[in-house]
Amino acid sequence: MVDTKKIAVAGAAVVLFAILVTFATSYMSDFDTARTPNTEDEFQTVELKQAPVLGSKTAPVTIVEVGDYQCHMCKIWFEETRPLIVENYINTGKANLVFMDMPFLGSDSIPASEATYCADDQGKYWEYHSMLFTYQEDEIDGGWASATRLQAFAFNLGLDIEQFDKCMTTDDYFSRVNYNKQVAVTEFGAKSTPTFMIINISTGESQRVVGAHPYSTFEKVIDSLL
Amino acid sequence: MNNTFGIIYSNPSYILISIGIFFLLFMPLIIISEFLFFEPFLVFSIYPETTLSFFLIVTLSLFSAFAVSMNIYRVKLIKETKKISSSIVGTIIGASAGACSCGPIAFSVIATFGTAGSIASSFLTIYEIPIRLTSIGILIIVIFVTSKSLSRECKVKS
Repeated sequence: MVDTKKIAVAGAAVVLFAILVTFATSYMSDFDTARTPNTEDEFQTVELKQAPVLGSKTAPVTIVEVGDYQCHMCKIWFEETRPLIVENYINTGKANLVFMDMPFLGSDSIPASEATYCADDQGKYWEYHSMLFTYQEDEIDGGWASATRLQAFAFNLGLDIEQFDKCMTTDDYFSRVNYNKQVAVTEFGAKSTPTFMIINISTGESQRVVGAHPYSTFEKVIDSLL
Repeated sequence: MNNTFGIIYSNPSYILISIGIFFLLFMPLIIISEFLFFEPFLVFSIYPETTLSFFLIVTLSLFSAFAVSMNIYRVKLIKETKKISSSIVGTIIGASAGACSCGPIAFSVIATFGTAGSIASSFLTIYEIPIRLTSIGILIIVIFVTSKSLSRECKVKS
């Protein structure tokens, strides 16, 4: 007779081993594949200069946030750390912020990113960006970023709904969002969200920050690059 | 129960085993749940929204350390492996929860398994707290039952 207890213990050991292997490989690959842009030319190749910028375009430091609108750690960072960065570095002209889409968490992530660019057509990229993180809900693909809700967010911001709908239904920005995702993974070595690349535009010096770090980390890194 | 703890942990090797198991569980859990960061430098951070999650990780690691070390003692004493699987199951259930859906593990899982990976990752994130509470419940029962059985068996042996 088969000993079910032994099978349970063996099964549990296999699951634990699989968790540990996944954990180890994902973190090791995170360190291996990182390739940060080191020069201004490389920085330009990823076409960040076409992305909507929060703050002064001539600020010496650019913070690139790689994120997914359904990522709850991105929301926590948005609520806890970002306001302090905006107050102390962006509003003072020392740094600016660019958001790079890496929609991987669910099927609603790509339309959410597309919607921000449709809002950008009407000059409300950052307002729409903020609205998505403000109204983000826990459940991924739980309907909070469905087509109807995205349209409702646009309505609340006073966007021209006809223009917004046309932009969304024709998938105007689908390729841009996918391109951003590709760049986030290949150029910045992003394997999780949020990941940040903080770059001194004139020297090309850069520093990667992985995870929803507290404000103190950003303060140290930005000050070291200024 | 206090007497059982006293008997087990009067042997320093069981204290060491408990400390080892605690850190073996605690360290990976605080990394995957994004409390400990490595890049650009080592940073430990708890946001107000994640305080409960951190508290549950500490509790889970602590109870796992007690449950597993008590069962190792029991196995050595009476050569019976009956209850050790329950403590391992409790530990694994708790450890599987809350592997942050935005983290590198989720990225690997979603990249490999697509929609199924996304659903699994989302489920473990949403139900992180109930799963961890269930796991802690299992471990409390294991500790209680093991302690009872040890005090009974020790009396018989003595």
